[in-house]
Amino acid sequence: MSNGADLIQQMADGDAEAFARFYDRYAPLIYPLILRILPDSTDAAECLQDVFWEARERARTYDPARGTADAWVVTRARSRAIERMRTARRRRDPGRRAMAPAATSPERPAAIDRSVLTRAFERLPDPQREALELAYYGGLTQTEITARLKQPLGTVKTRLRLALDRLREMVRPA
Amino acid sequence: MSATHEPYDTFAALHAVGALDGDDLREFETHLASGCARCATLVRQTEQALARAAMAGPPEPPPSGVRERLVRRAAVAGAPGRRRWLAWAVGLVAAAVAAGAFSAAYVAARYEARLGQMARETSAAKQRLAQTEGALRDELDLLRDPTTRLVELHGQTTAPGAAARVLLTEKAGGLLLATKLPPLPPGKVYALWTVAGDAPRVAGVFVPDEGGLATLKVPPDATSAPARVLSVTVEPEGGIQAPTGAVVLAPR
Repeated sequence: MSNGADLIQQMADGDAEAFARFYDRYAPLIYPLILRILPDSTDAAECLQDVFWEARERARTYDPARGTADAWVVTRARSRAIERMRTARRRRDPGRRAMAPAATSPERPAAIDRSVLTRAFERLPDPQREALELAYYGGLTQTEITARLKQPLGTVKTRLRLALDRLREMVRPA
Repeated sequence: MSATHEPYDTFAALHAVGALDGDDLREFETHLASGCARCATLVRQTEQALARAAMAGPPEPPPSGVRERLVRRAAVAGAPGRRRWLAWAVGLVAAAVAAGAFSAAYVAARYEARLGQMARETSAAKQRLAQTEGALRDELDLLRDPTTRLVELHGQTTAPGAAARVLLTEKAGGLLLATKLPPLPPGKVYALWTVAGDAPRVAGVFVPDEGGLATLKVPPDATSAPARVLSVTVEPEGGIQAPTGAVVLAPR
């Protein structure tokens, strides 16, 4: 089976079969992440379709020297989902700044809670996990997290920095 | 990572998760743009760690239909980016053609307008030339005529520097050529008076140019024999029957 970088290259060359294989490989892996950010399944399905079409159209821009294929796909999926979430929120509540649902939002599907990042996240201390979830799933910046958690900016920065340092250690390739 | 690189290690980690903002973001982007390989690596490693973690959980079957729609769309679109490039190229060519057509039409319209104007100007110049030629021919005929008399008029006290010559024939009228005439007040004209018998009659009125020069063609009835030139006076415009104003030019 081709690795992700090869698939992206073949996709860029117009290989329709590679595009289908790329989808088969990554769609089940990134769909849980999209669903976590966009709990509405219709939104999530549209976002998934946008992510793969954009990946196909932008395949030529992928540079293996700048990151793995996995990171390329996941980063695109997360960014697109966050954008959709913010757009939908602005449409619903134009007077309010884009804010993420709380990390413990009741509308979040329980089955998805255990499926994305949680294995790594669960091993983080609660304050670090909470800050990281607001940033990663909610698309909040350090200032927005400070307001949400009512903690000093320095504290938020430290929690995020420690969480990400530990995450890198936990998922480091063997 | 050593502690001496702070705050950029923290900035790099937060940037990878999209949490950096404000002055910190600007400072870090400037730092990254300066070519800090350590920060670039840290950002990349953090993004990869998040990606690995994101894909470490149980997969979730994607909604049905998405794959089919994507495959169908790809079959229609052809190679990635081709349609967009083609559309762009077609658009560019169309824009160039449209711009060319517009430019040609614009230039043609401009030149047509200019050519029309030049034709009108040429026609008017020809007309003026023909008039001048006709006038000169009349003047030459006047000079050739052995019956032509020359009357010299001299400036009077109101215009001592002025002077004029009047060519007169009994049958063909005459011509007045004046110089150094003072400017006229508003509503006034110069009038040339001739006399045949007792009653003076106006042979014509005229206004000199800014240089004080004037030319007046005198009709034949004003010079019928045996006419004499009396004077040039300043008169009100229109309806004059007899000289009433100051005499500007007169025979000595």
